[in-house]
Amino acid sequence: MNSLHVATSVADAIAALADRGDGGAPLAGATWIMRAPIRKEQHPRSYVALAKIDELQRVELLHDYLSIGACVTHARLAAALAPLPEFRALAVAAGSSANPAIRQMATIGGNLCAAGFAAADLVPALICLDAQIELAMPGESTRVSVEAFLTMRTDLPHGCLVRRVMVPRTTYRSDHVRLTLRKGGDYPVVIVSLAAELGSTGVVKSARVAIGSVETTARRWEKFERLLIGHPLDPADVTEKATLCADELHGREGVEAPGWYRIKVLPSLVGRAVRNIRGQC
Amino acid sequence: MPLHLTVNDEDRVSVRDPLTPLVDVLRDEFFLTGAKIVCREGFCGACTVWVDGRPVVSCLLPVGLAVDCKIHTVESLSTNGDLSVLQKAFEDHDAVQCGMCFPGMLMTLTSFLDREPRATREEIKAALVGNVCRCTGYERIVDAAFSLASAG
Ligand code: FES
Ligand code: FES
Repeated sequence: MNSLHVATSVADAIAALADRGDGGAPLAGATWIMRAPIRKEQHPRSYVALAKIDELQRVELLHDYLSIGACVTHARLAAALAPLPEFRALAVAAGSSANPAIRQMATIGGNLCAAGFAAADLVPALICLDAQIELAMPGESTRVSVEAFLTMRTDLPHGCLVRRVMVPRTTYRSDHVRLTLRKGGDYPVVIVSLAAELGSTGVVKSARVAIGSVETTARRWEKFERLLIGHPLDPADVTEKATLCADELHGREGVEAPGWYRIKVLPSLVGRAVRNIRGQC
Repeated sequence: MPLHLTVNDEDRVSVRDPLTPLVDVLRDEFFLTGAKIVCREGFCGACTVWVDGRPVVSCLLPVGLAVDCKIHTVESLSTNGDLSVLQKAFEDHDAVQCGMCFPGMLMTLTSFLDREPRATREEIKAALVGNVCRCTGYERIVDAAFSLASAG
């Protein structure tokens, strides 16, 4: 019989995970983990459920940043961000991923930890907004960037869990665009999250661009970002620049789309993101 | 360890493994067979039930996480054998074909129309993106829901 420990506090969860060692894993919204048998993956001997920990359910707008507990669902996040245009990319990602029932269940922490899920919407949105992740573990907590977390998430020490995500408050404008094969209720084959700080003349002072679902893991696209600096955000110009930079990408093969297709359509999505951001000005 | 659940306002006890999908407990242990098992992947919505008032796919919810929650299935929609207004609208619009998707359609749309009683056709369609009808009878389903939304 699988065992499920329903933790009542972060300290309880950390202790339970540390105690279980290799045989334990955290469980948040469960939408990815419950499909493990379909992927022919084994469950660990025991899960530690985080869903009943109050602290992990909080969304708090603080002076310098937005704090999002690891078990906040996509639906709750979308509702909390609706009146906050400064986090537009994240709001769109949370409000459009998967389908309404999944958005009621799937959490931000789960989205970040599901290493095999290339089409996670929140991950590129958080990268473009320069979010940090707070990890809690026995006796300490630490903060890492989302990009750093993605490189370590399959190898976290025993007793370590995502406590919250911190998104800095900035004057950047941002957007999140995704291409699905069906109009809705589908996982995207390409995701672009783009945030830019514009000067008074409309030229880009700084930019952060992240792409998801194109490669096996979401990533920041720094080569392309550099080409944006000092230029106005012009959809045709950025589409051309994205085409030039796309040769460094390794498109992910999948039943829903081949790798070359993802790379081919990516520049058009970048252009669409820029058009949306211009519409916010 | 027995798991104590509240299903359709009745106390129930499950003895299944806490990782068992809720839909299997509802159907196999409690014989509430309204929620259907189709994809088990969260894509089709046939297994939709309400957990604390929110529509969720019960194929992806471990029963151990449903303890202390209020669960409602499609069996709770009618009262004393009288169909709910949406069930009646589905019947009036001759929307039912094989019926496999209907429990999920009803749970999703009943909750949606509670929140958005004046929804447009487009909004109704958007609310249904997680509910797949293999008989592809979408237009009449949307007609039925829209008849309530536009009824005043
Ligand atoms: S059976 Fe649950 S969503 Fe299809
Ligand atoms: S009526 Fe047959 S699946 Fe919808």
